[in-house]
Amino acid sequence: MNARFVATLTLSAALASAAATAQERTTVFTGARILPAGRPAIENGVLVVAGGKIQAIGGSSLPRPDGATTVDCSGRTITPGLIDASFRGGADPADLNEQSDEVTPHLRVLDSLDPEDRSFERARAGGVTTVHVMPGTRNVIGGLGCVVKTWGTDPATMVLNAEASLRIVMGTEPSMGNRAIRGGSVDSMYYRRPTTRMGVVWEARKAFFDAKQEPETVPGQAPPAANPGREVLKRVLRGSLTAYTTARSEQDIRTALRIAAEFGYQTVIDDAQDAYLVADELAAAKVMVLLGAPSAPTVAGTAGADGSDPRFATVRILAERGIPFVVTTGSNLSALDLVREAMFAARNGLDPAKALDAVTILPARLLGIDQRTGSLDVGKDADFVVWSHDPLDPAAVAESVFIDGNSVLASR
Amino acid sequence: MNTRFSLVVAACLAASAAAQDLIAVKGGKVMTITGPTIDDGVVLIQNGRITKLGKSADVEIPWAAKVVDATGKVVMPTWVVAHSQGGQRGFNENMQNVPWLSVADAIDPAAVYFEDALRNGVGTIHVLPGNQTLLGGSGLVVRPAGRTVEDMAVSGNTGIKMSLFAAGGGRLQQIRKLRRALDDVREYLADFDRRKAEFEKEKAAGAIAADKTWTEEIDRTKKGACDLVQKKTKGWLFVPSVAEIDEALRLDKELDLQIVLGANIDDAVPQLAKFGKPVILDDTIEYFETDEETQKEKKVCTPKLLADAGVPFALTLGAGGPTSYPWWQLGTCVRNGVDRRMALEALTIVPARLLGMEAQIGSLAEGKLGNVQVLTGDPLQATTWVETVLLEGEVVYDRAKDPRLQYLFAEDVKKASDKKPTDKAPEKAAEKPAEKRGDAAGQGEPKAEVK
Repeated sequence: MNARFVATLTLSAALASAAATAQERTTVFTGARILPAGRPAIENGVLVVAGGKIQAIGGSSLPRPDGATTVDCSGRTITPGLIDASFRGGADPADLNEQSDEVTPHLRVLDSLDPEDRSFERARAGGVTTVHVMPGTRNVIGGLGCVVKTWGTDPATMVLNAEASLRIVMGTEPSMGNRAIRGGSVDSMYYRRPTTRMGVVWEARKAFFDAKQEPETVPGQAPPAANPGREVLKRVLRGSLTAYTTARSEQDIRTALRIAAEFGYQTVIDDAQDAYLVADELAAAKVMVLLGAPSAPTVAGTAGADGSDPRFATVRILAERGIPFVVTTGSNLSALDLVREAMFAARNGLDPAKALDAVTILPARLLGIDQRTGSLDVGKDADFVVWSHDPLDPAAVAESVFIDGNSVLASR
Repeated sequence: MNTRFSLVVAACLAASAAAQDLIAVKGGKVMTITGPTIDDGVVLIQNGRITKLGKSADVEIPWAAKVVDATGKVVMPTWVVAHSQGGQRGFNENMQNVPWLSVADAIDPAAVYFEDALRNGVGTIHVLPGNQTLLGGSGLVVRPAGRTVEDMAVSGNTGIKMSLFAAGGGRLQQIRKLRRALDDVREYLADFDRRKAEFEKEKAAGAIAADKTWTEEIDRTKKGACDLVQKKTKGWLFVPSVAEIDEALRLDKELDLQIVLGANIDDAVPQLAKFGKPVILDDTIEYFETDEETQKEKKVCTPKLLADAGVPFALTLGAGGPTSYPWWQLGTCVRNGVDRRMALEALTIVPARLLGMEAQIGSLAEGKLGNVQVLTGDPLQATTWVETVLLEGEVVYDRAKDPRLQYLFAEDVKKASDKKPTDKAPEKAAEKPAEKRGDAAGQGEPKAEVK
């Protein structure tokens, strides 16, 4: 462990110095079709990068700075680095579900995060430069999610937001397998609640009720030690922290909206497979939706998780009703690379430009990081991908991936 | 029920009549696979076979022909899957040594698998017993359209399924069991021949009456296996990983084998290159492999490795998931650097050759069967859909009349769930899925029928 830690430090130092030199140079990427996200494509575009930031972007007539290195990208497509608003990875899966309690709002997934986890490497290879990691789905309230870049010289520079979200889970997952042990008592430490959907909802409601009952913390004074989670729930109730409620079936989505309305907090619905059935309510509540793995339902087997009924039309229905949604991979074990999930959204009838927005600028706005990343605009971080083909072509490969101006693909 | 039955009969009669018709698929970009691609081409099909193929300007369409307008679309042969376990009710028999079984008894013509295959433009499927077997019974080449196995059957006696997959035992045990099973058959055959020779000898010596003849036949439960060891029939051998490849190549010296590779065979590529014969790939063709020393993982694409080593290969399709889409499988190949043409051939003419059916299917050419699909665009794009499928000149799939797709794509959701699938099927094309929907209609929500 120690040896590995030291090795990591040395490696980080080496990379840091390499990155420093890379960042100081001005590099110009020419000849590519640029899809900047959120605005029209630029044919034969020019992208100027220096100091880890985008310095200029435009057509072929864009003036190029003196002494810059030019990279010819003709025939390629450049997009912003992709953003996965629900990423299953970044840590050992066993480290994501704390089993000592069903309601653990104060736990931070950042503390489980392993910058060397293999999933980061896979994400980078697939053109994903920023991810939102949440605690697992086995707790009713799992804890705080974080937003990190998929590559960094040290964890501190990877993190964009250490406490970006609070994960709440509806449906059957928090109760899955929970039973009183045979012959044991319900007071046993081995007994895990809840065991039903109504138990799950009760746990969530009770947590927010208790948080609401508790008097405000005196400024400058630590919150009561016995209830570290209540302070987090209070932040949700005050509107300074967004809840992400995982709810798949129509029933669970309605429940999630109901609880949020009862306590007056804002929530995002994660893996909202039945969103098309609740479109009016979602639109009314101005709720943003995470769509997990559009590739998952097939004609041959459309039964979704938790009794949901996913349809191909979902993306089009949501787009037509103006319900903002992003495409993610985190809710499905068999999810493909994020770019392929966007491709499946396009296959199901979503406009290709919108499909790309759903994995770039829209998740950036959702996660509150659109000042830094999510589109190719002057002043933003130089997070971008050079694709061999149009990114929604099944043959597309991320040939180079840049995070803060650093090339992050090991070797191809 | 009776009404429906007569409808079915009527549909079958109509279908056989349709095959006599003259059909012209007109105006599309015709990708023949083995020949040049023809822009604005015509494919003329008569009595189930392609009679004329050429540019619109050069081919005269007879006035009596039914015209399928493919303007702006892509016209190509239907896909050929040379190895599949799909569409069966139970494909792994618990007993391992069962060469007398036939998939004809397990194929369920109503399986969603076949419906979905047609929707993906698959026209020919070689269905075999599952991989968890020893000598697993014989396969059947079917078309994914028809109400009975007889309707679907294209050719039988394709060979015996064999597998080196270690089910409920070690790898060595599986190899030993397979060798033992083959030896048993050889011993049986030798004994049979010996007894027959003795009979003839005794007859010649007068110990048996001259009017008596040898009547004993080969045991029916052993017939398939006997044919296999005598190289009268093919063995379709599943090789799950690199560890079994040596044994597979040894078996190939004694039997007429077609090797079907599982995933994790990348380290066997040099041996396969020396072997030289074409192989069939499992549907998993791209996966991650971790180096045991460095713990670094790398992405492996078997078609790319085989292409680089010069080993011809056929692709197959999964049952459900992205690998069930031909465009995904071909796209995966191209993404990993396989030549586009080679990828296209690996799901058309190459599997057709492995089935010994290259004179009938696998490309568009005059004299071949009229197995044609019309796609909305390039066959390697995710946004492309199969519009029409013709098998032997008969339209068996039409996307506009695909109730299941309509259901999944319905934007007016309330209406879609109210509108239970039609019980009357106005056109032949919609007949099959419509009928199935009709079956489920009485049982509540449409999703109840999904397996």
